[in-house]
Amino acid sequence: MEHSGILVVGGGFSGITAALEAAEVGHEVFIVEKGSYLGGRVSQLNQYFPKLCPPSCGLEINFQRIKNNPKVKFFTMAEVVSVTGTPGNYTAKVKLSPRYVNTNCTGCDKCSQVCPVETDSEFELGLAKRKAIYRPHLASFPLRYVIDPVVCLGKSCSKCVEACSYDAVELDDREKEITLNVGSVIWATGWKPYDPKKLEILGAGTIKNAITNMQMERLASPSGPTSGQITRPSDGKAPERIAFVQCAGSRDESHLPYCSYICCMASLKQVTYLRAQYPDAEIVIYYIDIRTPGRYDKFLQRIREDEKVLMVKGKVAQVTEDGATGDVLVMAEDIIQGLKKEERFNMVVLATGMEPSVAGTTLPAGMQQDDDGFCISQENGVFSAGCAKMPLDVMRSAQTATGAALKAIQTVVGR
Amino acid sequence: MAQVKRIEPDLQFIKEMQAAGGESLKKCYQCATCSVVCPLSPEENPYPRKEMIWAQWGLKDKLVGDLDMWLCHNCGTCSDQCPRGAKPADLMAAMRNMAYQNVAQPTIMGKFMSSSKYLPILAGIPALIFLIAWFVTSGFFGLPLDENGQVLYRLVFPQTAFIDPLFGLIMVAVIVIFIRGILSLIKTFNDSPQAPIGGVPVLTVLKSTWQVIIDEILSHTKWKECGGDNNDRYFGHMGIFFGFVGLFIVTAYVGVAYWLGVFTGWDLMTPMSLWNPFKILANIASIALIVGLILVTKRRLNLDDSKFKSSYYDWYLLGVIWVVTLSGMFSQLLRLANVPAVAYPMYYIHLVSIFMLFAYLPWSKLAHLVYRTVALGYARHIGRSPKPQA
Repeated sequence: MEHSGILVVGGGFSGITAALEAAEVGHEVFIVEKGSYLGGRVSQLNQYFPKLCPPSCGLEINFQRIKNNPKVKFFTMAEVVSVTGTPGNYTAKVKLSPRYVNTNCTGCDKCSQVCPVETDSEFELGLAKRKAIYRPHLASFPLRYVIDPVVCLGKSCSKCVEACSYDAVELDDREKEITLNVGSVIWATGWKPYDPKKLEILGAGTIKNAITNMQMERLASPSGPTSGQITRPSDGKAPERIAFVQCAGSRDESHLPYCSYICCMASLKQVTYLRAQYPDAEIVIYYIDIRTPGRYDKFLQRIREDEKVLMVKGKVAQVTEDGATGDVLVMAEDIIQGLKKEERFNMVVLATGMEPSVAGTTLPAGMQQDDDGFCISQENGVFSAGCAKMPLDVMRSAQTATGAALKAIQTVVGR
Repeated sequence: MAQVKRIEPDLQFIKEMQAAGGESLKKCYQCATCSVVCPLSPEENPYPRKEMIWAQWGLKDKLVGDLDMWLCHNCGTCSDQCPRGAKPADLMAAMRNMAYQNVAQPTIMGKFMSSSKYLPILAGIPALIFLIAWFVTSGFFGLPLDENGQVLYRLVFPQTAFIDPLFGLIMVAVIVIFIRGILSLIKTFNDSPQAPIGGVPVLTVLKSTWQVIIDEILSHTKWKECGGDNNDRYFGHMGIFFGFVGLFIVTAYVGVAYWLGVFTGWDLMTPMSLWNPFKILANIASIALIVGLILVTKRRLNLDDSKFKSSYYDWYLLGVIWVVTLSGMFSQLLRLANVPAVAYPMYYIHLVSIFMLFAYLPWSKLAHLVYRTVALGYARHIGRSPKPQA
C-alpha cells in the first residue's frame, strides 16, 4: 500500500517549515519532536540577525499556521524508533514518552509553585533553575506543563496533583508507541551547542564568567534568567570589558573540524546586545577569520564603526579565571602586531559551534551521515533539512526545509 | 609610510623544508594557537606561528636567520594543540635540520647527512679506513693476542701511530669548522631584524653563552619550563648529556695519561683496571647513556603519528649513539671474556660508529650542542630568552 503522508522528524524551525510547506499544499504531515515543545533552538534566541527582531513573532505565526491546519499533526516527547519500507511506503514506529500532564492543563503554574524539587533548567542552559513540574519556557507551544521523571519525587510527594484544579497531572502516565504510515521522511533533527567542557585550554566549561554564545542569548533575552540584563553569572555585576572567543572548538581537528557558519554573525549580533545596554563597554573579538558571507558583510561593517569594539586576529588558546575578582584572563597572539598578550575581561563569550543532534548515532531508513554526523539526503524518499544537513542560519534553514518539502512532495505525489 | 616590500617566494625552498620534516606546513591557517600554548615562546614576535607563514610563503632569508628555531626545545605542545595538524613543532625541527645542512662548511657534507641514501658512503669511509688499519697491523682479519694471551685492542688499532693522530685530526677539523659555523651563525643573527642596531659582538655572545651553559644547560632548566609530560625527554636528554660528559672526561684522561706514559715511561697504559676511578666513571656514564637512550627512543617510537613525525636526522643521531654505546659496552665485556673472534670486530664497529658520530658532528643533529648553545647565549643577551628564575 502506498501513502501520501510525510513524516517530519524534529519540530524546530526547519521541521515546522517543511511540515507547513507540505501541509499547505494538501499533504498530511506528522511532526515528531523529541522535546516537550516546538520551536527548537530558535526559541532560545533573543534576536535573529541581521534584522535583530525577536524570533518569538516568527515562531508564533508558525504555531498559528499549525493550529489552523488540520493536515499537520505533531507529537512532542516523541522519538522515532524505527523507519522501514521504501519510497511511498514507510512504516515509522514512534515512542511517546510520558508527559504526566494532560491537555486539561491551562498553564496556571500552581503545580510548579508547590513543587519542592529544583534542578538546572536546560532551556536556560544552566543559568537558572526550574521545578520538577514546569513549563519548558515562557512561550512554549503546546501550552502544557511537563514533569521531569528523573528528579520528580513521584507519588510520595503528589503536591502538584493536589494543587491542580483541572485534574491535569497524571503521575501514572506511561510510555506509548504509535505507528505512522507515510510516503516520505524529512530529517530535521537540528543541532546542539558544542560542549564547552571539551575545550580544555578554554577553561573546560568551569569558568563562571566565560559563558557560551547560546548562554549569552538567554542572558540577553527578556524572558531569560536576568530578564534581559546582561550581567556576570558569578556576581550579577555589569561587565565593562567583554571578549568574544571565535572558533571555540570549531575548525579544529580535535573538536568540530568544520566552520559552523553562524558563530561570527552571532557574536557580532551579541555585540549589539551589549552596546545597547553598555554604551561604554570595551569589546574585543578574537578571531581567525571573520566570516560574514554575502549581505552579512554590511552587518560587519556596521560593527567595525564602533570605536570601542576591537577585532584581534589571533585565536584565543588560553582562558583562565582570576578567582579573587571573577575576571577572566584570555591569552592570544595578535598576529598583525606579532604580540602575545594576556588580557583581563569581566566576562568572556565562547563562540561555540553547532554539532548535529544526531552525531554519533545510526539513523533508520538508510539515512546516511557524513564523518561529522550531518545527514546526507538520499534523494529516494528520505531527505534532510536545516542544521541536521549542515550548519545554517535560520533563513537558510527555512530554505533547505522548503527544498526538502518539495522533494518529499515529489516522492509522494500521485500515490 | 613604510615602503611596500615585494615578497619573493622561494618555491624550491618550501619543498626543501617539507622534505626536511615540515611536510604538513601548508595546512596552517595562522590561528596562532601554537604561539600561545608554547611555554617558552616570548611575548614579542612569538614563535612558531610566524615561522609557519614564512615557510608557506617561501621566505628563505627570514627562516635561515631565525634565532627562534634554537629557542624551541621541541616539547610538542604546539603540535598537540594545533587545530589543523600542521605540526609546527616538526617545522621548527625541520628548520634546525636545514641549519645542520647549511651552517657548516663544506655544505656537501650537509647534503650527505640529509638522507639515508647517502648512509652507505658515510659508513663506508670509516669502515674502509679501519679495515685498512686492521690489515696493516695484523694481516687480513688477524686476531693478535698480547704476551698473556689476552685481547688487546691496541695491537690491531695502535693508539700512538693511528687512533690518536686520526681522531686528533678530526677534532682539530671539527673545532675549526665549528668556529667558522659559530661566526657565520652570529652573523646571520646580527643580520636579522631582531638584532640590536649594530649587532652583538662575538665576544659578548660567547660570554653570554658561557652563562647559559652554567645556569641553563647543566641544570636542563629549559626542559623543565617545557612543562607537561616531558619527563621522558628531560631525564632521557640528561642521561645522554651527562653520559657524554662523563665519557669525555674519561677520554681526555686516557689521552693525556697515554701520552704522559709515552714520554715518561710510567705505566699509564690502557686497558685500565675495572677499579680505576676513571674506569668506574666510564661505566657509570655508559649506563646513564643507555638509560637515556632507552627513554628517548621509547618516546620517539610512541609518538602520535598524526601530530609528530621523526625525521632522518633524529634517527641518524639516535642510531649512531646506540651503536657507539652498545659496541663500546660489548667491546669491554668481550675483552674481559677474552673472545678475540668477536671482540675485535666489535671494537672495529665501535671505532666506525665513533668516527660517524664525531667526524660528521657539525652536520648532524648533534651539532645543536654548539649552535643551540650559542643561539641561547645570543638570545639571552638581547633579552629574548631570559635567565631562568631561581
